[in-house]
Amino acid sequence: MATPSSPALRTLRDVLFEPILRIPQAKRRRVLVTFLVIAAALFPIIDGNDGDIDAAANACSFAVLALGLNIVVGFAGLLDLGYAAFFAIGAYSYGILASYQVHPVWSDFWLPFQWLGLVARIAGDGGAADLVHFTFSFWLMLPLSALIAAFFGILFGAPTLRLKGDYLAIVTLGFGEIVPIVARNTPYLTNGSMGLNGVAPPVLFGYRFGVESMPYYYVGLAMIVLLIFISYRLKDSRIGRAWMAIREDEIAAGAMGVNRVKLKLLAFAIGAGFAGSTGVLYVAKLQTATPEMFMFPVSVMILVMIVLGGMGSVAGVVLGALILALLQSWFLQDLTQWVHALGRLIDVQWLQQIELIQSIELIFGIILVFMMLFRRQGLIPATGTTAPLSLEQQTALPSRGEIQAALSGLGAGADLPPGTPLLETRKLTKRFGGITAVKELDLVVMPHQIVALIGPNGSGKSTFFNVVTGLDEPNGGKILFMGEDITGRPSHAIVERGIARTFQNLRIFPNMTVLENVLVGMHARTRTNAIGAVLRSPATRREEAATREWAMEVLTIFGNRLLPRVNHYAHSLSYANRRRVEIARAVASRPKLLLLDEPTAGMNPAETLELAAQLRSLADMGLSILLIEHKLNVVNDLADKVIVLDHGEKIAEGTAEEVHQNDEVIRAYLGRKAAARV
Amino acid sequence: MDFQDILLQQIINGLSLGAMYSLLALGFTMVYGIIELINFAHFNVFMVGSFFGLWVLEATGLIGQRSTLEGLPLIGVLLLAFVCTMLLSGLLGIVIERAALRSVRQLRGTAPMILTIGISYILYNVILLTVGADTHNFANPIPVVKWQIGGAVLQLREVLLWSVSLVLMAGLHFFVRHTRIGKAMQATAQDQEAARMMGVEVDRVVILAFFIGSALAGAAGLIFGLYYNFTSYVIGYSAGLRAFTAAVLGGIGNIAGAMIGGLIIGLIESLGGQFIAVRWTDVIIFSILILVLVLRPTGLMGLSVPQKS
Repeated sequence: MATPSSPALRTLRDVLFEPILRIPQAKRRRVLVTFLVIAAALFPIIDGNDGDIDAAANACSFAVLALGLNIVVGFAGLLDLGYAAFFAIGAYSYGILASYQVHPVWSDFWLPFQWLGLVARIAGDGGAADLVHFTFSFWLMLPLSALIAAFFGILFGAPTLRLKGDYLAIVTLGFGEIVPIVARNTPYLTNGSMGLNGVAPPVLFGYRFGVESMPYYYVGLAMIVLLIFISYRLKDSRIGRAWMAIREDEIAAGAMGVNRVKLKLLAFAIGAGFAGSTGVLYVAKLQTATPEMFMFPVSVMILVMIVLGGMGSVAGVVLGALILALLQSWFLQDLTQWVHALGRLIDVQWLQQIELIQSIELIFGIILVFMMLFRRQGLIPATGTTAPLSLEQQTALPSRGEIQAALSGLGAGADLPPGTPLLETRKLTKRFGGITAVKELDLVVMPHQIVALIGPNGSGKSTFFNVVTGLDEPNGGKILFMGEDITGRPSHAIVERGIARTFQNLRIFPNMTVLENVLVGMHARTRTNAIGAVLRSPATRREEAATREWAMEVLTIFGNRLLPRVNHYAHSLSYANRRRVEIARAVASRPKLLLLDEPTAGMNPAETLELAAQLRSLADMGLSILLIEHKLNVVNDLADKVIVLDHGEKIAEGTAEEVHQNDEVIRAYLGRKAAARV
Repeated sequence: MDFQDILLQQIINGLSLGAMYSLLALGFTMVYGIIELINFAHFNVFMVGSFFGLWVLEATGLIGQRSTLEGLPLIGVLLLAFVCTMLLSGLLGIVIERAALRSVRQLRGTAPMILTIGISYILYNVILLTVGADTHNFANPIPVVKWQIGGAVLQLREVLLWSVSLVLMAGLHFFVRHTRIGKAMQATAQDQEAARMMGVEVDRVVILAFFIGSALAGAAGLIFGLYYNFTSYVIGYSAGLRAFTAAVLGGIGNIAGAMIGGLIIGLIESLGGQFIAVRWTDVIIFSILILVLVLRPTGLMGLSVPQKS
């Protein structure tokens, strides 16, 4: 192999690729996409072989399915093993509403529907009553089936999405099994295992799609293009980032203001909707639907497509779907012929009889195992590479001081009637089994205060944070924030009120960039919904631009520690920088109160001083801070008030000076004997 | 037969099914309890286990329904069949853990589950491609001995299968509660990190959980064959789903819960099949899964679901 250092070859490579590489990347990409679209559009005309076009049309259907499942599995990280069920629901919806299967007796009730062209009146045989014939249009059913499938997605997703993600896998597996069973057991609707017959083909401007595959190919292609567009728009939006955050760390996502249940349901419903639409296309093309078309192997095949292409990678998923679909319809048959020929040549009987197409499911299994063990990111990984840092950028310039420019509008809206505490807890109690981690704790944080919470390990400090931020339900007592009772509210609602936090054992989103991490922090302060994200209206653009601007502003808190690394994955950062990202992410949510759980852990003395100064600046801008800290010099420096916990109870409260003199504090920290000696 | 007899008969049938589901559910619950993974490979370890059982019986010269045994030879053959089947299935579990699952154990997200689906699919298709799609008649050395209880019939076969299940579950209970390694297993399930620091070899515990779980799945597979008199490559899917429902019903991660959940699911299957319709059984069981998850996600035994941190 040629090494890059070999001069002759490098020249050759430069000569070959330089003209291409000189074109800007965006433009190169545009050329490639244009080329692919034209090639796909011209393919049936150039190829002309009916079998090939039919295979390509089916491949398009599966690519659409894979794109839909990618939103659920790839973006939101929810394993859906019954995806074919939604495909079936869409297919049967169209099949029933565009065939003679269900034909109630005609009555005037149907008149308005007849006027709309949704049903037709057919004469009953031999003087029997007239019957209703459903004639829903294919083009109407494409979106309608999506809605029906999405409805079922929500119906079955809602109970399980509250729980941990694992349960969704098993529930969808069960759902995928029962939908074909229901179809088989309700012959009135579906004609049972014999299958629906005579499903009407689509009609477009008077042109009736027949049995030819070409028009279906173009409809499928159009759906792929639409879905790719929607996928990219969603991925790079507030919604897509929230999904990624859920995938990376559900608890942290909630603590950053992401409404987990709602967003998981959204992903699940969108995925189901795409499957529903595809079902319409699929059944219109085949003009029949049987329960066997939607069994578990179909769900697995779609999963294999996205695993092979790359979970979360839009281009990868399309590639994976095409590879597998074409593998089945073209390549395996050719390969079987070759193996047979080889068998005849070397006169081996079993080689002549092998049918590779039968082993397609075995191949699926092998692909799943191989990809999960050796290439989890798939053929085309979901995100690109990051630019390396220059030498200057790598060198930190410790700004031994305050934040230079004030963050715009931080701490605004925290104006309370004088004397009202920002945060107040009354007799707050949290028990774990027999252990009382927090015991009837009364605590007050006034606006613009820095309060430090100290105490030996296991004294209930972090539990207190968890209860205040809604991660743990309290067993008793009240939490008031700006006078409002927030006890037992979900964590995303608490972020919206204005409390943001960091975690003792770091909960950043490792596979998201620094910038994306901070942008997730803005979730509670932004409004873009899924439709807005896809349409990218001027309002959405403005919000996105403002969000990015604010994120960069927040990152300036830490001087050049994070700014050069905004496009780096959070997992590639040093420990101290990851702590800074977590703080920046919390500050980005424009909190009124910041809860910091051991912010300086893992930092050297210089870095600790630096961070302390930065926290002081944040407080000067109007932010109130409640921090858990073990480094007493930081506490002495920063805290207006120190509260000491031991065994879940407050044992002292006051200025740092006062607390240091307190006998009980000394006893808690040093033990009885040492306290006596002091 | 009047109503009471039908009810009694279906309870007898349900207990036999339930014993099988309990054994299968134990494998799900043990692996989930220790490494928080839904092991979809377990579905088809059960299926392969039933073939191991068939082959072991055939190797002893028992083929088809005709060749029955009595007395000590019967007990000897059954003992041999169960021991060999469980050993082979257990080894399969160990191979799966060592060759594939160990390297993804530390990963979060969907990757480990997807891996187990892949393994499950490979097992399924290897059996399909090697032994074929036909159903295979199961060798059955247990003679037909019947007792009338009112209008209901209790067979020797059922009594023997219940006894085997009971012995296995009691053995597991004793093992987990009273042996050193069993306690290590409990400790690992509670807190892997802490167990490791206390000197527990977590790798060994995990592999043991896979061995025991898969061996019990193999026993369940053999019971399936002896009970229904056939086996086939397709049996893993619906039995696995039922057993998983049983594990959730009993509280996933809870060993006693899995046993009780299995019995309940078995009873629901037989009674539901009798009083509603067999073709709706899967729908009923799935509805139970959904209802349990909605109303009581911690299961009947009420252990709290461990949260992945």
